[in-house]
Order: sequence, then C-alpha cells, then structure tokens
Amino acid sequence: MRNYIIKRLFYSVIIAWGILTVTFVLLRIGPTSPVDRYILNIAAKGQNVESVKQAIEARYGLDKPLIEQYFTYLGNLLQGNWGWSFSTSMPVLELIGSHWIYSFQLILLATIFAIVLGISIGMLSAVKQNTKFDYAASIFSFIGISIPGFWLGLMLILVFAVQLGIFKTYYDTNYPIWSLENLKQLILPVMALGIGELAGYVRYTRSAMLDNLRKEFVTTARAKGLSERTVIGKHVFRNAILPLVTIIMFDLGSIVFGGAYLTEIVFGIPGLGQVSFNAIFANDYAVVVAITLIGTFLVLLLNLGTDVVYTYLDPRIRYD
Amino acid sequence: MNLKYARSGWKLIIASLLTLSTLVGCSAPVAKGVFIEGDVTGGEAETLNWILAADASSFGYVGYTLESLATYDNQFNIQMRCLARDIEVSSDGLVYTVTLRNDLKWSDDSQVTADDYVYTLKNLMFSDWLNYNYRDDWKEEVNGQKVFVTPSVINNTTFTITRQTVDPEFIYTLYDLIPYPKYISSKYEGNVAAFTQAKEFNELSYTGNLGPYKFKEWLRNDKFVVERNPDFFLGKESGAPFFSEYVIKMFGTSAVMQGALEAGDITYCGIEPPNVPKFKKLDRINVYTVPTRGYNLISYNQRANGWEGLRKKEVRQAVSMAIDKDTIVQKMYLGFAEPAFSFIPSSSPWYSEENVVKFGVAPLTGKQKAMEQLKAAGYDYTNNGDRTVLMDKNGKPVKLILVTTPGSDIVESMSLLIKQELSDIGIEVEVKMVQWPTLLRQYMMNKAPGSDEEPRYNNGPQAVSEEPWDLALMGHNTDPLAPSGSSVFFASDGGLNSFGFFNNEIDALFKKVKSRAALDRDDRKTIYIELARVMSEEQPVDFIVFTRANRGFQKNVKGIEPGINMGYNYYLWRFE
Amino acid sequence: MTSKSISVLRKIAGPFYVNRRLLGYYWERLQKNKLSIAGLGFILFLAIVGIFGPLFTQDPTKADLEVPNMPPPGFTRQESIYNIKTNDFTNRTIEGGLTHPLGTDSKGRDMLAMLVSGARISLFVGLLATGIAVFLGTFIGVLSAYLGGWVDNALMRFTDIMMTFPFFLLLVLIVFIFGSSLAIIVLVIGLTGWTGAARLIRSEALSLRTRDFITASKALGASDTRIMFNHLIPNVISLVIVMASLSIPGVIMAEAALSFIGLGDPTSTSWGTILNAGQHSLETAWWVAVEPGIMLFLTVLAFNFFGDGLRDAFDPKASI
Repeated sequence: MRNYIIKRLFYSVIIAWGILTVTFVLLRIGPTSPVDRYILNIAAKGQNVESVKQAIEARYGLDKPLIEQYFTYLGNLLQGNWGWSFSTSMPVLELIGSHWIYSFQLILLATIFAIVLGISIGMLSAVKQNTKFDYAASIFSFIGISIPGFWLGLMLILVFAVQLGIFKTYYDTNYPIWSLENLKQLILPVMALGIGELAGYVRYTRSAMLDNLRKEFVTTARAKGLSERTVIGKHVFRNAILPLVTIIMFDLGSIVFGGAYLTEIVFGIPGLGQVSFNAIFANDYAVVVAITLIGTFLVLLLNLGTDVVYTYLDPRIRYD
Repeated sequence: MNLKYARSGWKLIIASLLTLSTLVGCSAPVAKGVFIEGDVTGGEAETLNWILAADASSFGYVGYTLESLATYDNQFNIQMRCLARDIEVSSDGLVYTVTLRNDLKWSDDSQVTADDYVYTLKNLMFSDWLNYNYRDDWKEEVNGQKVFVTPSVINNTTFTITRQTVDPEFIYTLYDLIPYPKYISSKYEGNVAAFTQAKEFNELSYTGNLGPYKFKEWLRNDKFVVERNPDFFLGKESGAPFFSEYVIKMFGTSAVMQGALEAGDITYCGIEPPNVPKFKKLDRINVYTVPTRGYNLISYNQRANGWEGLRKKEVRQAVSMAIDKDTIVQKMYLGFAEPAFSFIPSSSPWYSEENVVKFGVAPLTGKQKAMEQLKAAGYDYTNNGDRTVLMDKNGKPVKLILVTTPGSDIVESMSLLIKQELSDIGIEVEVKMVQWPTLLRQYMMNKAPGSDEEPRYNNGPQAVSEEPWDLALMGHNTDPLAPSGSSVFFASDGGLNSFGFFNNEIDALFKKVKSRAALDRDDRKTIYIELARVMSEEQPVDFIVFTRANRGFQKNVKGIEPGINMGYNYYLWRFE
Repeated sequence: MTSKSISVLRKIAGPFYVNRRLLGYYWERLQKNKLSIAGLGFILFLAIVGIFGPLFTQDPTKADLEVPNMPPPGFTRQESIYNIKTNDFTNRTIEGGLTHPLGTDSKGRDMLAMLVSGARISLFVGLLATGIAVFLGTFIGVLSAYLGGWVDNALMRFTDIMMTFPFFLLLVLIVFIFGSSLAIIVLVIGLTGWTGAARLIRSEALSLRTRDFITASKALGASDTRIMFNHLIPNVISLVIVMASLSIPGVIMAEAALSFIGLGDPTSTSWGTILNAGQHSLETAWWVAVEPGIMLFLTVLAFNFFGDGLRDAFDPKASI
C-alpha cells in the first residue's frame, strides 16, 4: 500500500512536470506576444513601438532564449518562487491566494448540490420504477445533461435577476464569504454549474440501484426477513454508490477547468477560472502554468485519495 | 465609459480655489456613502506602478490617490489648484517654471519637493533602464536629433524645464506630470525587476496627502477600492472628499453593468445608445450626454500597394462623398455622434467651421455626385448585368480591401455599411477582419520592398506593407486641447503615417503650430482653422464621426458638471 | 491502397456488412425506444437542414441595416434615435414580420439563415472531431490491449497524462495561440478527446483477448495485424458506435463554449458565435441569445436520446 502511494505520487509529479512544460512551451512559441496588449495604446499615442517592445521584453526577461527562460522558471519554482504576473502586476502566488476562494466555494457547493440531489432523486426513481416520478426524473435528467451550462446561466439571469428581480445581476464580492447573502447570490451560479452533474448522477444512481436490486444478495436479504428499508438503504445503496465516487472525481477535473470558468464569466465571479483565462489572453505564462500545475496536481491527488479510500470501503480491492 | 476618460487620459481633477471657498461657505458636509463606478472588464488597469503602464486606466487608477500638477474644466479652462501653485512660461516660450504647494507630504511625512520631480524626470522617466513608455513626449528635435528637455531644481518648491525649441502645447504634457518619491525610488534605481515588483509602488503606499483617496484594495477582474484620505491637502477646510470609499467595479458585459445601475446597485456607469431612452425615463437616474475624444476614420492607402486612384485627391473626395455620415450617425450610433471633418472636435477651443469642406454630409454626399466626380477624375463605368462597375486604368473592375478589427459591433456594422455604400457607386469591397497585432504588423507596418530595413509605421514614400490593403476602418482618440498631436498620423515624417500621405502644406502647418508663431492663442487658432480646412479638402483619410457618450448617475449624486471633462471636480461630488 | 482500405473497412464493419439480420435485430430493439427514434429523427432533420437548408434560406452573412434587431413575428421593439441639435428622440417601432420568421440580429442578418448555417457547423465539428477522437481511441485501445507489455504500459501512462490535462484550458490555449479556425478547433478536440474511448476499448478488448476464438485464430497461425483487424476491432465496433454517439454532444458544446468566449472561427457563423453576440443585447433583443441556445440544447438532447437508445439496443447491460 505504502509503496503504491509513493509510486503514484511519483507518477503525479512526472505528469505535473510534463503539463508544466507543455503549457510553458505552447505559450511561448506561438506567434502571439506578451507585448501585444501594450502595442495598441503605445501606437495610438505616437510612440516608437519597436523600442517600447524591446524595453518591455527586457523588463520581464522575455528577450532571453526560450530554453534559458524555461530553466530560470523551473529553478525559481523549485525554490518556491512562483514568479511575477506581469499582466496583473502582482506575485503569482498572491494572485492565486486572493482568488481561489471564489472558485472553490462555487465548485464545492455545485458538487454538493449535484451529489445530494442527484443521489436522492436517483434512488427514489429506482425505488419507484416506472411511476410518474420516475418518468419525470428521467426527462429532467435528459434535459439536465443536454443544456449548455453557460446558456442556462444567461437564461437564469434573464428570468430571475432581470425580469423578476429576485437576485442581483452580478456577483458582489463585498459580502463576506461566510454570509447568507453570499450563499444566496451563489444559488444561480451553483444551479448553472451543477445541473449537468446532477442529471448525470440521477441517471447513474437509478441504473446502479436497479442493477443491484436484481442481484442475489438482495433476494437473500429479503428472504432473511430484513425490512425493505434496510435492504435498500444498506445493501443496495452501498453497493450501487461505490463506483459513483470515481465518476464524481472525474467530473471534478472537468468542472474545475471548464464549467467553472464559463460560469464565472457569465455571473462575474472573480475566480481562478477568469484569472487563468485572462492570463492566457495576456500571454502571462507564469500565471497560466501555475494554475494549470496546481489544478492538475489537486486532481491527481484527489484521484489517489479516492483509490486509497476505496480499499477501505471495498475490501475486495487491493493495490500492490 | 469610465470617468478616467471623462478626464483627459489621466489628467487629474481640479476645482478652482474660488469654487472651493464658496463651498466652504455653505457648511462642510460629512463624508458618507460609497461611490461605485461601473466599468467593463477590458478596461481594467495594467498596474498601479504607473511609469510601467501603457494604458490610460492605470494612470486613471493612480489619479485617485495622487494629483497631477494642474488640470482643466469642461471648457478647457486651466485650473491651478493641484500640486502646482503656479506654472509660468517665459515670454520666449522656452523656460517653464513650476512652483509647488508647500504643504505636500509623502506617507513618511517628508515634504514633496522640486527635487522629487526632477528626480522622477531625470532618473526614472528619461532613464534607459526603466524605459518609460511615453518618454518621447519629453523629447524635442534639435538639429535632427531627438533630445530630452532639461529639468532643474531651483529651490525646495520650484523647478524649471528648459527647452531649446518652442512648442506651445508642451505645457499640457507638463500639467499631467506626477512624481515618484525619491526616498523610495532611489532604493530600486537601476534594478528594473526590483522596481517593477516594489510593494510601495504596486500598493501606492507612499501617496501621503497628495490625493483625495488612499489605496485600499484591488481584487483583479472585480473591484478597485480607494478610501477617503482624511489628510487630503484640500480636505482640511472643505472636508472633501465626501465619499467614504470610491469603488471601480468590473462587469463582464456592459448589459449586466447597466442592469446594476438600473437596480441601484452602482452609482454610475456608461450607458449604451439603445438603452438611453429607457434610462432617461427613470426617476432615479440622471443621464448626461457628453462629447468624447473618440472618433472613427477610414484611412486611404496611398502607398504603392493600394489602389492608385486613392493617391488622387479627387478620388478620395469621391469615395468620402459616397459614405454618408448622417446615415452612420443615425444607424450606428442612434444619433449619439456628430460628423467629423478633421481631427479637431467641436468641443475643442481651436474648432471652427470656417472654410471646412464637408464631404459626406449634404450637399456634398450621394451616389450621383460621387460617380460624377470619379468620371471627372478619368475613371470609366461599364455595365455588368444589372450592376454598374467602376473600371481602373487597366480596364479591370475596381476591387478594394477594407481591413478592420473584430470585436466591436458598431465597427463590424459600419464596415458592412461602407461595403454597401461603395458597392452603390460600382466599387466592390472585400471586408477583412484581423486581430490588432496582425493589423499592425501586416497592414500598418511598412518598409521599402526588397530592403532589409526594420519595418516601421512610416518608412517613407517607397515603403509598403506586407499585405495589400486600400481602406482601413479604425478608431482614434484626439486631444481637443492640443490637436497637433495628430501630426504623428498626418505629417510626412509622422511616425504613424502608415497610409502614406505626404503633403507639404500640411507639414508646414504642423510645424508652424508647434513653433514660436503659435505662442499667441489667436495666432494658434488661425493656424488650426487653416489646418482643418486643408485636411477636410485633402481627405488623407475620411474622418467619419466624433462619438458622444452617455453617462448615467443615480440622481442623489450632487455636484456634477456635465461636459467632456466632467470628472474634473469629482472629489467634490457627494450624496444628497 | 484504396481497395485495401475498403477491405479493411469492410472487415471493421463486418458484423453489419455481412449480417443484415443482426442489423435488423438492433434496429428493432432501437425502435422500441421512442425517445431514441425522436432523437434520431431530429438529427436527420438537422443534417438535411444543414446540407440543403442554405439553398432555401437567405444569405446568413447579408446585413440589412434597415432592420437591425428585428423581433420574430408577433413581437415589437422600440427604437429611438437621438437628435443632437434638439436634444430629443424620434421613435420608431420595429415589428416582427414573415420576411424574417425568427427575427434578425444587430446587423439585420436573418436569424433563421444564421441558425441553419450554425447547424451545419455544429454537425460538422461534432461528427468530424468525434470521428478523429474515436478512431484514435479505438486504435490506441486495441493496440494497447493486444500488444500488452511495455507498449500497453507506455500507452496507458500517456493516456493518463492526456486525461489529467485540463481539456478546456488546453483547447482555449491552443486556439488562442494558433488562431481560431474551424480546422484547428476540430483537430484539437479530436486529438485530445480520445482518452476515454481508448480506455474503454482497451478493457473491452482485453476481455475479448482471452476468449476462445482469438486463442483459436492464434493457434491457427494468424498474424497480429490480422487478429487485430479481423477479430478484435469488429468485435468492439458496437461499443465504438455508442461511444461516438454519446461523445458528440460534448464536442458540440465545447465548440459552442469556445465561440461563446469569443474564440470561435470569425469567418463562420456558429451557434456559439451568435450566442456570444446576443448576450450583450439580452434586454433589447432577447431572441438573439435565446434561439441558438434552444437549438444547441435540442441538438445535444437529440444526440443523448439517440446514444442512450443505441446503447440499450446493443447491450442492455452495458453501462458507459
């Protein structure tokens, strides 16, 4: 077990390093340049663009050979220096530090929302198979996985914020994170972000429950005279839910880097998604690399964690 | 959109001492409430370490905490109440003497002195290690060489700037000057990385009593917050400023931002033309329609890789006649713009309609007139099916390439309208949308074919751009106070004359307006009137429209004076 | 070359090509699922509209600045034009009419025509990118399963890295750097989206490998390639088809999301591009953002319905 974890951690570091290198190289070999964003203003004021360009490149060390920049960056990183974000003019780590909480709360709440509702609806659906509730849940889940989250977000704003005025049209960072107002203003974003996962979990839970209901141990349990509640709650549910953990972990990865960003844009939440994509548009490689690196490493660790937890939950699984 | 554009770039805010004393007379109000200004994400500042910035927003953000030397009101009357007590120009126009207030303090309580200014100029702005982006503003041409002006300290509160050549408009550059504290800057001198990352500069912790507000917080992509500065040098008597905080809140789209204004969540933001009637009907909101510095133009490529016709004045005039400015005003801007005929807007003190030839508005507009003038210039039409087609000198149909940048709905619509209008006079137009860097590199930069010179925006008459083009639709800003800055586009040696317009008369006028001959205001106005006339007749580019902006405020904000520089007295605004 | 590839194709499609009866059997099972048939119907309808529609609609690029933001029939919109000299407004009412049955956008372009051209792009991107991804995935999966050993190990580690790489971020990065053209978008999605398919196919092929008929062919001296193309691939083909039909919606959404944040191909009108423009005028012209969103939603829903039915038809017990 211990060896397994060490091996996996080693793999994770290798993978993270690979991703770092790819991101770094991609951002620095393209035809776009970090100086592009300055050019318009400088040219419009009649200044000499070429000399300004050279000056800015020299200022941020972009004039050195790519390979040298890469090793300088790696060296700094190993010493714990994440670099300077020239597009926002602050240290990368500080930038991430002041924005992560907005992404984190959104992702956390959306995941909880999806898991709790998804599993409950899925279970009910399975227990009440072929009833009206089951059909309604089934239609709902199809709609949920098919609706584009960013569009749903726009529509939610249009209806609930613009037309009905129940919510603010934008996310207000003046409310403390731990406040009811903050929770309230997260309702729409959480719905827009979580609905796809929620629908997926409904479908999964339902079919897994039905599968397990047919299994022999259920018949045995029922034969033993256990109450229906115990049979479903304890035996069926536990067996059905285990594989869902993997699915949730897998979804987390795509939420962190896809859906959350679009939701942040639509609702104006200043999370890491917005930060990293703005950094891409500004060619601010230090930020892009750092966020990608931290994000993937977290996902890798989560995966490892899940696998380890599995061995406790399901004694049949063993890693060597 | 933003107040900082209401001010001139980053020019700061001043009320005359007169206004101030009357205000003091009527009981000092208490500071209350938070003023929230809305802005769209793209307009966020680059850095608070302004000497490294290229954008107007950065200077604007810094401006809340640190005043410049002087500023002007909506009528461009100079207001002497900022950090300078007096700015005097010698009668020969060569020596500028600046006298500072003596009650200015940095955050460590040391006095802001003339030495700080001269240090900022000499050791920072003029230096090679820091490469201030706009240092060319502080250079003059002497015997064909670009050299810096000479600053020197006279005493604790007085310094001079000495020029070798006369430029009556240099004074506006001087007004905008803001200092770095020498006691901090000297620690980082020569080390660009340390200077860039210095906490003092990036958090504006040195600004003492120099501005109405102090830096509080900047959450990127979300909000920039400054809080009331109780020590503000003008605050002792008046109690200004009257807001406890001033916030710039970022929004992803302008639609959401306007929704926030309507809901009362923010105090002020720009309003887009289609929404103006709705906001004007609201009781809680005041909408001010004010002139801006922005204008649109179509450059005519007169270099060798553009259509040769465009090198003739008559042809350019004909094309300009085909593009109806009133239609653009009505259709694109829903009325919130006015036709332009030169780079001098009607809000400028140098503006005059005298002798201006108004191509593109009645009577000098229309398909018929344009076609007649093209025929008179020696071009023939043939009929191709149901279409009349303009033929070039080689008997081929004229086909023009219009380049512009994507992203703005108005610009995209306008390019389609132009395509339609030129097709009406038998000219086929192909619209090419390219990103800014591409537009600049492949279409604007030029060099003589086959030579190995470095591409520049104007490499002389022989040079051509990498890609051929004929028309370029762009947006520019002008300076109503010193319009001669536009010489970079229109003078033969102008650094941004990428379209290749070379005209001796214009060159002479630009030279004259930046010389001793223009020291007298009346003389300067005469020169500008002549410049506007020649511009409007020569049509080096088709000036299209000057735009108007709509600024919506909650009605309980008092003290606003609507106008092109309406932010000039913002520190006196307050809630009712 | 051609004849060879045809024979390979024939072998891949083997079960269907040879056995019409099997195809009929699947079709019958699929037909039982009404939603799935509805989905298929909508996809076919969309394909026909995409292929032939542009012949009948107006030119989607033709601007008519006389009728900007014209509402659909039955709705009206007020337009006010300001008079700078008199400081008042001239009002006019724009009424929806049958010339533009779905209204127009801010440049007076016909929404119906734009939606039809968008259908073409969505289907094109969806099918082509999924095609590339599934082809790669199948190939890598089968190769990995059949060859085993270090090849399998290397390929699966590579798949791990690709899976950990934040997909949407990579997409945005590459498209931003190398320019937004449909070709690049399709290639990037195709070249990065194969990982799920590869894993699934590998595990399916692994279980096939141990079956008797493969052992028998081996004993009879069949070559590796022969076994791979004649036995392994034909036997995972149903899985491949299901996989493809279920991953098309994701691809369509990815393209839309990309266009939504302004990185779509500027030379073509996709649903995402229209949506992007429409979000800025939600209040003045809601239809510009609502209509493409509905189309996107219906298309994704149709593919989900169809893919779901297809999976049930092929194998009622499979859970993808």
